[in-house]
Amino acid sequence: MTSTSEALRAPRRIPVLNRDDKSLLLPLAVVIALAVFFSLATDSFATPRNFSVVTGQAGTLLIVCLGSTFVILMGSIDLSVGAVVLLVGSISVTILNATNIGFGIIPIAALCGSAFGAANGLVYAYGRIPSFVVTLGSLSIFTGIALQILQGRAIQFDSAGFEQVAIGQLIPRLPNIALCALLAWAAVVVLADRTRFGRYMYIIGGGETVAHTSGIPVRRYKIFAFALSGLLAGLGSVLAVARLGAAGPSLGSDLLLNSLAAIVVGGTSLAGGVGGPQRTLIGVLIIAILDNGLNLMGVSQYTQMVVKGAVVVVAVLVSQQRLRNAVVK
Amino acid sequence: MLASETAALTPRVLPATPLFRAEALTKRYDANLVLDGVGFEIGRHRVVSFVGENGAGKSTLLNILSGIVTPDVGAMEFDGRAYRPRGYGEASRLGVSRVFQEQALILNIPVYENFALGHEARFDWVGQWVDRAAMIKMAERIVEEAGIDVDVRRRTGSYDFAKRQSIEIARACLAPTHLTGIEEPFILLDEPTSALDRRDEEAFFRLVARMKTRGSLVFVSHRMSEVIELSDVIHVLKDGRLVATLDAADADEQTLHGLMVGRERVADYYHEHRQRTPPAEAPVVLSLRGLTGEGQYEGVDLEVRAGEVVGIGGLLDSGKSAVGRGAAGVELPSAGTVALDGGPAGQPAIVDFVRRGLGYIPAERLTEGLIAAFTVAWNISTASGQDLFSGRLGLWRRRREIETARRFVAQLAIRSGAPEQLCTRLSGGNQQKVVLARWLCRDPKVLVLDNPTRGVDAGAKEEIYRIVRDLTDRGVGILLITDELLELIGLSDRIAIMQRGRIVAELAAPADAKPTERELVVLMLPQGAPAAAREPAAAAAPYTAPAIRTLTS
Repeated sequence: MTSTSEALRAPRRIPVLNRDDKSLLLPLAVVIALAVFFSLATDSFATPRNFSVVTGQAGTLLIVCLGSTFVILMGSIDLSVGAVVLLVGSISVTILNATNIGFGIIPIAALCGSAFGAANGLVYAYGRIPSFVVTLGSLSIFTGIALQILQGRAIQFDSAGFEQVAIGQLIPRLPNIALCALLAWAAVVVLADRTRFGRYMYIIGGGETVAHTSGIPVRRYKIFAFALSGLLAGLGSVLAVARLGAAGPSLGSDLLLNSLAAIVVGGTSLAGGVGGPQRTLIGVLIIAILDNGLNLMGVSQYTQMVVKGAVVVVAVLVSQQRLRNAVVK
Repeated sequence: MLASETAALTPRVLPATPLFRAEALTKRYDANLVLDGVGFEIGRHRVVSFVGENGAGKSTLLNILSGIVTPDVGAMEFDGRAYRPRGYGEASRLGVSRVFQEQALILNIPVYENFALGHEARFDWVGQWVDRAAMIKMAERIVEEAGIDVDVRRRTGSYDFAKRQSIEIARACLAPTHLTGIEEPFILLDEPTSALDRRDEEAFFRLVARMKTRGSLVFVSHRMSEVIELSDVIHVLKDGRLVATLDAADADEQTLHGLMVGRERVADYYHEHRQRTPPAEAPVVLSLRGLTGEGQYEGVDLEVRAGEVVGIGGLLDSGKSAVGRGAAGVELPSAGTVALDGGPAGQPAIVDFVRRGLGYIPAERLTEGLIAAFTVAWNISTASGQDLFSGRLGLWRRRREIETARRFVAQLAIRSGAPEQLCTRLSGGNQQKVVLARWLCRDPKVLVLDNPTRGVDAGAKEEIYRIVRDLTDRGVGILLITDELLELIGLSDRIAIMQRGRIVAELAAPADAKPTERELVVLMLPQGAPAAAREPAAAAAPYTAPAIRTLTS
């Protein structure tokens, strides 16, 4: 991410981002290896049709992961993103069916999401409760409310043409939801690398006490991060609803594992301060390709769960190895 | 019993070989030659010191001796055999133990378990049951022999930092003998006394004397008077080379400093000739009124004028560091007000204060001062994200960040520093300069410095003192909190002395009429204890000055 001219001028460069770039090689190699493997193992993986399917599936995951990457970068964790997706999805469907709002639902969904995220952040920052506990609680609360709204059933929306937001293809073969996800990714990478908000996330994750004694409003930025996580979950949710045509009780249920998996596999450390959203894209690709390829190979749902869990654990093992090297020199 | 004990304490007939020998140890990190052909011998029953500025290679040398780092070139011999440990675990099995600068005790277990750490298998009792009674007995023997006042059954974390330090020293010195039966341990002490109060320090000195009858010790410290008093032989390191080896009997502080920095130590280390106590009409830039922190300090009134250095001295439990945190708004006080730079008096808040020109340097550099895993530039810009380094829309000004960092690396002579260098690679003194640069780049009006030179070598110390004078010349008000009496006296225009959370005395310290250490120590000790009349050995006093040892130097 460092510009070349700057990199050339620096006499001895071991900046955080460059080191990251080097450690990106392993996850990238995994993406390529998986793609090659599934292309050889199945006939249907390397087809234009399947490309649309994979990118469509990866779209929701990427959007949702981008926000929670900041939360993890900051040294906290957000377990409630899947539940926010379910709740915002059920609210969106209800509003879509009750009114004539159409595309206007997108900003509403984003707003709802950020409100839920901010609620998490407020309790976390002012209540001084571990984020793990706060979001575990809100995971249950949000899911409960959503299932009450849905009455435990899948509800379809009847807003003509709304599904085009997600499944239309402005760029041939690339579903709009994936396009949105890529745009959001680009915006969030700039946010992480080039703005005060992004820098503060790294500093809070790297040393919260240092951030505090340096006069950084730590609490405020913690709330911002959770609100952003909620906002992107809300956006991802409304796009996922558009893609599926309905919101059902299982919406977002796989996101808890998948989002954490993608972020960690991408290389953002759960300890905070290391990594960033630029890497989450690769993590998402790994998880999405793995999901899709295993499906195509006819591997059972249950076996897939085993494989994915193993991938996460191995990813953490590998990243910790790297961390240890960095400290011990 | 008595006879066997005396026998144990009498040195055996010494083998002719030295206990430890090193030849041409060399270590290079990237382009940085950290150790350059260092060779020495350590005799049996000797205390050997290594002194040098930060960055001279002391830490690397200790890392090599304790097996944490392997040298690129060179050989070592321990007790006549080649010594090539592949990690600290192997080194300690061979009989080399070390007290680390950062404490390596586990806080939430009792003291005796810390003593037995890694040797639990010795206390096995029918398989997996641990024989606590035996463990406790062993721990009590260690504590008794070390002469420290510790209840081994208490949770380690319930003791304060200084106590834990002496526990750790006792462990390093005595655990090898009691646990593994190593007869001649080789003990590496890395800045062991920096946080000890006097009572524990005396116990430490006795401990060293006692351990000398058993094995040999290597001692690294920034306190020259201690080095001279404790050691038999002193090695001076400079820029990774061994530049001198002295008999401690002929060494004095002046010579050692001269050898370390390559120049004679200037008479006014504290730049006292540059001290200009501001006139009484100079504006007050920091004013504390009735500041109270629940259980830490109470009713503190203090004013700092522009261009003035106000020092706070006191014992370890005086609450002076807490006052610093309260004044800066890092820890919210429970009552009282702080007014910054003529602003309204109110509850201090660090976020707001930083924006209005206050800077705070905490005593714990590695946990609160800087993020060592980040670059120099990132650490310098940390406090200025709200103004200097972000523009409208919160976009980060990276070019300005790099340029500022480069400017301060040059200006403060941060050695082996570059904007994109990670701070883990810098020595303590240079890390502290990075923390200083974080505030200097903001042109602050007030700085609160909590032990700004802790763990910093003589050369960097002097540079920090020079920076302090530069700042006061520009009208910056400084609140200095320090454990070092000489620093307190040398730098301050006015000195406030705290005792158990209250200011008990305030005295002027103009350049031509500095108070003496003895005067200050008397004020620091609890009432009803005329310390001046007391023998230095009266260790019965529960609280004594951390820096009282400087009285004799």
